[in-house]
Amino acid sequence: MSLTYSIKEGLAGFSRAKFASIATTGSMAVALVLIGIFILMTYEARSVSDWLRQRVGELELFLDESADDQLGNAIYNRALVTPGIESAEYVSKAEAVQIFKREFGEDGDVFYDEPFLPASVKVRVTPQYANKDSLASLTSYFSAWNRISDVVYNESLLDKVMRNMQALQRIGGWLGLLVVIASIFLVANTIRLSIFGRRLLIRTMKLVGATDSFIRRPFLVEGIMQGLVASILASTVLIILYSLLRGFVPQFGTTSGIDLAALLVIIMLVLGAFLGWSGSFFAVRRFIKDVYLH
Amino acid sequence: MIKLEDVSVSHTLPNGSKKPVFERMSISIARGEMVYLIGPSGSGKTTLLRLLYMDLLPEQGRVTVGKYQSDSISQKEIPFLRRSLGVVFQDFQLLPDRTVYDNVAFAMHATGKSGSVIQAKVLQVLARVGLSHKRRRYPHELSGGEQQRVVIARAIANEPWIMLADEPTGNLDPAVADDTLKLLISLHRQGMTLIMATHDYRLVKNFPARTLAFMKGRLVEVEPTTLTS
Repeated sequence: MSLTYSIKEGLAGFSRAKFASIATTGSMAVALVLIGIFILMTYEARSVSDWLRQRVGELELFLDESADDQLGNAIYNRALVTPGIESAEYVSKAEAVQIFKREFGEDGDVFYDEPFLPASVKVRVTPQYANKDSLASLTSYFSAWNRISDVVYNESLLDKVMRNMQALQRIGGWLGLLVVIASIFLVANTIRLSIFGRRLLIRTMKLVGATDSFIRRPFLVEGIMQGLVASILASTVLIILYSLLRGFVPQFGTTSGIDLAALLVIIMLVLGAFLGWSGSFFAVRRFIKDVYLH
Repeated sequence: MIKLEDVSVSHTLPNGSKKPVFERMSISIARGEMVYLIGPSGSGKTTLLRLLYMDLLPEQGRVTVGKYQSDSISQKEIPFLRRSLGVVFQDFQLLPDRTVYDNVAFAMHATGKSGSVIQAKVLQVLARVGLSHKRRRYPHELSGGEQQRVVIARAIANEPWIMLADEPTGNLDPAVADDTLKLLISLHRQGMTLIMATHDYRLVKNFPARTLAFMKGRLVEVEPTTLTS
């Protein structure tokens, strides 16, 4: 059966042209690592952006001066079940004083006599609500509650963070796209060179009357196999890099509910097989057309 | 039947101008015939063979090889035309990373034959060219004459009815060249049409057959015994 033969030939191509196979697999692995880094960066940029926006967009609900801890806790419990709220924290007057002391040190001594700081409830919103519009409507919602004297958040900082994140994402996107395009060219060129090295094989196949699809098949099998090997190499490198990086940036992977490593391996395998197949398909198609028998 | 009717072919030179190889050429070769194509280098011998296996299509006129015609053949039919031809080149063109057996078997795999048919046929054709005992050798382990016999074995594995040989003895010493030609002639005697391009007039005189000579863009019949080596 010719398909079995094509598969055998494709696999044998690995050992017959060792250097070309190593070069092609290596270039595909490099390309996949670059593409993988781009995918991880895009994914984690969102995690980091969510993390940052949630913290910058934290609302503080200041209670009336007369409000006691019992009322504070009641407001805390009510805030916690409000849609769009991820977590909340009640800060009593005594705790507010402690925070003040911590932040102002000895210079704050003059204010200690009178406990002038109100109790508050700090509210952290979910990533979907960490934007100006949602925060504005939450602010007016909480302001309408009884015994709430003021609701604040750092609007100007949130504005700045969002603008900078958008700019960074745009630059990252373009750079990533450039890297992806460059790596695809690198792979296509390496595969072309590798197939060019075996034009005698194509020529002989044409000479003995092999159809174009028969000539193509072993090269496609070989390309897919090289792509799969490259994706396994790339996944290993990426997982190691990612684990190292998580040691430095603990925010990585915080908002993910999925097994990123497994997802990455699947993406790499699909991309690797596609890269190998498409690179081989276009290169061999061209050579079948261009190779003359004499 | 092989026929060329009013065929014109030209080469494009690097400066873009066209140089005619031959113009309005017509020849006819019957099935089972043996024909030498002779002439100096660049006279058009190889071009004519390329027209027959349709690696090159004529600018004008029509080439007919069996049931295939150059003016109506599709790209998809060309491989099937080539299965009816065996081609032997001066430079062998064996795959260096495969054994003798695999080089011959490869030609049959490429035409979709099944494994059991291939094994029997490869052993048969290797026996036919006297190389059964070297089937596990690689091309670089063989002499030039042996390599050319492997090429002949590969060419006949798919049982073609035409054998096209382009200077098949060009790289061989006279004694080996004679043996190789004897092998080709023995195949011709079993019914195969043999068309051989050569400039070795000694061979043509020693093994005479119909001889067509390229002369100034024309093809003329010559008497082989009148050739001077």
